[in-house]
Amino acid sequence: MEIEIRNFTVRRGEFVLQPVSLTIRKGEIFALLGRTGSGKTVLLEAIAGMFPGDKGEVLYDGVNVMEIPPCKRKMGIVYQNDGLFPHMKVEDNISYGLRMHGYSKQERKQTAEELMDMLSISHIRNQYPGTLSGGEKQRTALARALALRPELLLLDEPFSALDPATKEVLYKNIMEIHRLFGCTIIFVTHDFKEAELLSSEVGILLEGELLEVTEGKQLLKGSYSRKIEEFLGGRK
Amino acid sequence: MTALAVLLFIGSAVFVIAADGLPGFWEHMKSEELQFALRMSLTTATLSSVIVMLLALPTAYALTRTRMPFKGIFSLLIELVLSVPYLLLGLSLLVMFSSPVGKWLKECGFPVVFSPAGIVMAHLLVNLPYAVRLLKTAFETSDRRQEFIAQTLGASPFRSFLTILLPSCRSSIISTLILSWSRGMGEFGATLMLVGVTRMKTETLPGSIYLSISTGNNEAAMSTAMLMLLISGLAMLLVQTAEKSERRKTREVRESQWK
Repeated sequence: MEIEIRNFTVRRGEFVLQPVSLTIRKGEIFALLGRTGSGKTVLLEAIAGMFPGDKGEVLYDGVNVMEIPPCKRKMGIVYQNDGLFPHMKVEDNISYGLRMHGYSKQERKQTAEELMDMLSISHIRNQYPGTLSGGEKQRTALARALALRPELLLLDEPFSALDPATKEVLYKNIMEIHRLFGCTIIFVTHDFKEAELLSSEVGILLEGELLEVTEGKQLLKGSYSRKIEEFLGGRK
Repeated sequence: MTALAVLLFIGSAVFVIAADGLPGFWEHMKSEELQFALRMSLTTATLSSVIVMLLALPTAYALTRTRMPFKGIFSLLIELVLSVPYLLLGLSLLVMFSSPVGKWLKECGFPVVFSPAGIVMAHLLVNLPYAVRLLKTAFETSDRRQEFIAQTLGASPFRSFLTILLPSCRSSIISTLILSWSRGMGEFGATLMLVGVTRMKTETLPGSIYLSISTGNNEAAMSTAMLMLLISGLAMLLVQTAEKSERRKTREVRESQWK
């Protein structure tokens, strides 16, 4: 799915997202990079169509996202925390979307099995989210988002609360998911090394303003404005 | 020191009821009139609290999750009704149901004034704004992102309400139901204005206390009060159990985050 953001701006409380224009090509892994509080999650949620903008629009393959009902957006979203349904076991969380789409119990079970195997979480299928570690929660949320084979996967700081070893595993998971599902992936991060490692393109968002879009591999090599240089200060 | 004084003050009220109500309690419990009042209170409070929940849940949802017009006025109205004495609410109901509409309802076989249906109506007016406010607060504090995620996964707004919002606010909903019921059991002012208190006809537990005191039978009044105290205590216990179960869940979540 191709995402086009046209001159999109929104105010959320005190925060103002300055007009953003951006195209994310189909099948791309795009990183939204910036400091905490720079508006990355606001932009991600705007791309998800959680709220309309004050101006501008977000298009999914040329159609305004606000005109597509959430259930037909073919989009999956994974939050850093609290995204799992706390009253449902891991397996029920994963198969929730399939249940809502009327899949049979057998089909739901089979798809959930496949995803749990792929993400190595079969052993926690009967546990509630409240008893899971950060990495297990993230992988469960990923499995749930993937169950309906979305064309767009949105990840809000998916690696930020994880230890280095778990991060490595999840990096591999994300690359594997991208290879198998071929979906467009947009993820939010404040870690520029992570952005360089995983993404084909990176958008640098600081203080509510999208200042630069660059190739992932070139992120740490390019020369930028003073503001971005300050942010990337520790890159060498 | 102040806390101790407050505790003593509140505790003394409960102590007086227990001390005066217990001696003749079991004897008084056998009285046909008290049993009638208990049945009347239980029936009307149960019926009204079920209706209150059926009306308050969609109202709180509309106020927190939709773009319905006049939300501000609605919220203001709820606060206003909550601050009005119940006697006045009963009076307004009396005026409403004494109008031609009320008379027409009576002709259709639904008498409200001076009938048990009026008790339910009084409970509704007193408890509905209270329940809407409690549920509105619960819905406002519930994470909307989970409902959005549910909708991206194919749930309609109604199904995300049923499968995500209601379970996540379960303890608040149970508490609101129990509190509505318990307030219904103790409601007197609005009921008195609309229905009055007629022995063995529209007599509720608070009405029974009122009649007993009116006739100088303080012992019977205190025994009925003791019964109401026990019922309230039971309701409080149920609310606390619901809250404790929710807290246990939260603690599990926190502990797992520290692992």
